[in-house]
Amino acid sequence: MKKETEAKVVTFTSEAEMPMMPASVASTLYNKTGSWRYMRPLYANQTPPCNAACPAGEDIVMYLQLTAQGRYAEAWQTIVRENPFPGVCGRVCPHPCESECNREHLGGAIAIHCQERFLADYAAAHELDLPAVDAPPREERVAVVGAGPAGLSCAYHLRRMGYQVTVFEAKEQPGGMMRLIPEYRLPRKVLEREIGAIVALGVEMKTGVRLGVDLSWEDLQDYAAVFLAVGQSISRELGVPGEDAAGVLHGIEFLAQVKRGQKVGLGQKVAVIGGGNTAMDAARTARRLGAEVTILYRRSRAEMPAIDEEVNETLDEGVKIEFLCAPVAVLTENGRVRGLRLTRMELGAPDASGRRRPVPVAGSEYELEFDTVIPALGQVADLSFLRAEVQTERGRIITDERTATACPPVFAGGDAVTAFGTVTAAVGSGKRAALAIDCFLRGIERPFPDLAHNVQAAPRRRDPTVVRFENLNTAYFEEEPRPQERQLPAAERVTSFAEVNQGYGEEVALNEARRCFSCGTCNECDNCLIFCPDVAVLRGDSDDEPFVFNYDYCKGCGICVSECPRHAIVFEEEVKFTKT
Amino acid sequence: MREPKTYARNYEIPEEELTYSGSVSCPGCGATLSMRYALKALGSNTIVVIPACCWSIIAGPFPYSSLTVPIFHTAFETAGAVSSGISAALDVLGKKDTTVLAWAGDGGTFDIGLQALSGAVERNEDFIYVCYDNEAYMNTGIQRSSATPWMAWTTTTPVRHPKEEPKKDIVAIMAAHRIPYAATATVAYPDDMIAKFRKAKSIRGAKFIHILSPCPPGWKSEASDSIKLTRLAVQSKVFPLYEIEHGEKVTINVWPKDGGVPVSEYLRLQGRFRHLSEDAIAAIQAEVDRNWERLLKKAEMSMP
Repeated sequence: MKKETEAKVVTFTSEAEMPMMPASVASTLYNKTGSWRYMRPLYANQTPPCNAACPAGEDIVMYLQLTAQGRYAEAWQTIVRENPFPGVCGRVCPHPCESECNREHLGGAIAIHCQERFLADYAAAHELDLPAVDAPPREERVAVVGAGPAGLSCAYHLRRMGYQVTVFEAKEQPGGMMRLIPEYRLPRKVLEREIGAIVALGVEMKTGVRLGVDLSWEDLQDYAAVFLAVGQSISRELGVPGEDAAGVLHGIEFLAQVKRGQKVGLGQKVAVIGGGNTAMDAARTARRLGAEVTILYRRSRAEMPAIDEEVNETLDEGVKIEFLCAPVAVLTENGRVRGLRLTRMELGAPDASGRRRPVPVAGSEYELEFDTVIPALGQVADLSFLRAEVQTERGRIITDERTATACPPVFAGGDAVTAFGTVTAAVGSGKRAALAIDCFLRGIERPFPDLAHNVQAAPRRRDPTVVRFENLNTAYFEEEPRPQERQLPAAERVTSFAEVNQGYGEEVALNEARRCFSCGTCNECDNCLIFCPDVAVLRGDSDDEPFVFNYDYCKGCGICVSECPRHAIVFEEEVKFTKT
Repeated sequence: MREPKTYARNYEIPEEELTYSGSVSCPGCGATLSMRYALKALGSNTIVVIPACCWSIIAGPFPYSSLTVPIFHTAFETAGAVSSGISAALDVLGKKDTTVLAWAGDGGTFDIGLQALSGAVERNEDFIYVCYDNEAYMNTGIQRSSATPWMAWTTTTPVRHPKEEPKKDIVAIMAAHRIPYAATATVAYPDDMIAKFRKAKSIRGAKFIHILSPCPPGWKSEASDSIKLTRLAVQSKVFPLYEIEHGEKVTINVWPKDGGVPVSEYLRLQGRFRHLSEDAIAAIQAEVDRNWERLLKKAEMSMP
């Protein structure tokens, strides 16, 4: 019998029309068994936890899928749709995505940051350009104040939407805090390439222009909207006697001088005060300049805000960390630092940040000898240029969830608003602002409740439910170990500013991409098609719809739902008909 | 047609579909899925012989068929005899490349059709005999068969008097006939099942494939658990996947991962075992372990 593709109902009107023997003359396609169903499977594209955790809303699973197929250029393009700084973020992001990764339970989280870096390095090696702006040009001009990650991200996304964007930067070079990240963590050429690519898209860059000095608020009237991304540029003071002495050098100024190649008067015995990433950067930089370095931190290891890996690398390089101590005075001799008077601290009740508050131990003061002291206690924003209409609170600009300030055409983001202090958070903030400014200029009302789902410049169809480990069918996954990134040995690291982390090569990247569970996102493993008893799963004809259900025949058994390894299929109740 | 991605595939299964949608099998039917795999492996040059069983119904009411290949419906006890006859007729016609596939349930194999089957395989007739075993007379309303496991509930072995006899070892009976090929298979391992059908097709003589086929209404299990259940049956060693060549050479095809799982994981998903006491579960575990040890010894003895 030739295979039928159409349902055919056979009706015999007389015995003569029937076959001689009781043989079949048509297929069971006449029987639409879909009417039996009370539950319906549905390809849902639920949200992977990495995507939900990414401050920049990167579609991680999708670029891992493309990497797994060796489609590296497309994978890189998938990242830069959300974040124009994969080379930077792959190196310096604290990767909250990996903390949420479901692979953690079977061999360790996917090394997402290494994958991101691999793709960025691939794009650099192959000189791939950012996708050209294909949106129709828009009349409106937008000013972005501050060329850090938030400002550049906002400028990039607005430019992609067709706007005319001018970025004003007070410093001589764009990059903001990214420029202070030491060479051994972020080589200059990586940053230059990614900033250069944004400028090449047609973003106008005006450096050496400080708002309130070289540029007035009136000058900004020419723009339809303004995005303030001024960051936090003023170092916090120690607040102890003697801090004006020669030999006290603030963390970010120290890092900036070293990056500029200036000679820094650094002594042999250096104290770095603080427990954040700037403190680690300052300590490791001083170590590379030949100093003996001690970090002084007032709480314990568990409360340190620095990235854990960063702390380990710092310790590996021979930096000492003294916990639970705080300076009470900088000891001086002839106007120069000769040491610190410190007090022991102990942890008391938790404070507003949830960390236990350190309190001094009475009578525990002691002295240590240092010739250089580098306070790295964090920064605050310089908001002296602001007009009164833009409201602030405790040194931060107040905005609503759409990044709009109290003064309508002015939007704000980045560390001056959030103080998250990471490049990726700033990138996300800038992108959110770009979308908000776009809506504002078009007169569209749109809420932005959740960063992961609404910041997408090019969203794919997706259910916001986050897939957890217990939703997966682990029968299809083996325990496989997380690969190790290549790293220079510590002894070699402290002798130069060569990049510490070396990433990994194509073969490892390919395997690592295949190790990804692809939570909630179909990668065409074919299980649904193979296990359907009723041949009701068919291949689709687009990447968005690799499979389709034939609801005419699907009986709603749910095998496809339970055998989908990655929970990309959900089971929903059919619409009920109720008497009215 | 778009080129599908292939890097994430768990199985390589032939694309061609030789079964139709619209069959009247219950949702989550293992027997229906088994037929789909079998025909994917054997191809369209196949004649199917179906004695009375669930598949008499699943194949469609007159004048419809749920298969693209010819089916011969026959009486309960006759699958072995009718398949022998069709095989002989094809021989006379010189059609040596057509596969004859007898497709019977456990009732038609373990009980009612055993005599015809034994006769046919003893004569080493050239056909593949499949017993899709759902462990009771499911089509007529879940009456016990000699394939029903010890202590299982059926309508004729109610909870107050669950089945007292152990399941018959049908593969051992077939192996005792010294037939060229006997194997077990199940729906959670489609690649293994398809490989076994292909192997069976390549051998001339009598071949027997015993398929554990989940039945949600009869096992009182969730339709969506059909694959999970058979995977657990293999992983708990309740239903090991192995093959026996010429009654002697035993090969285990799927090894339980990390030493396997306890039988309770398989049993607790099925309402027909809900009444089991801890002691009964321990007894089943002991029996399963003993059978697995015996199988391991046979496999070891088969090593060259």
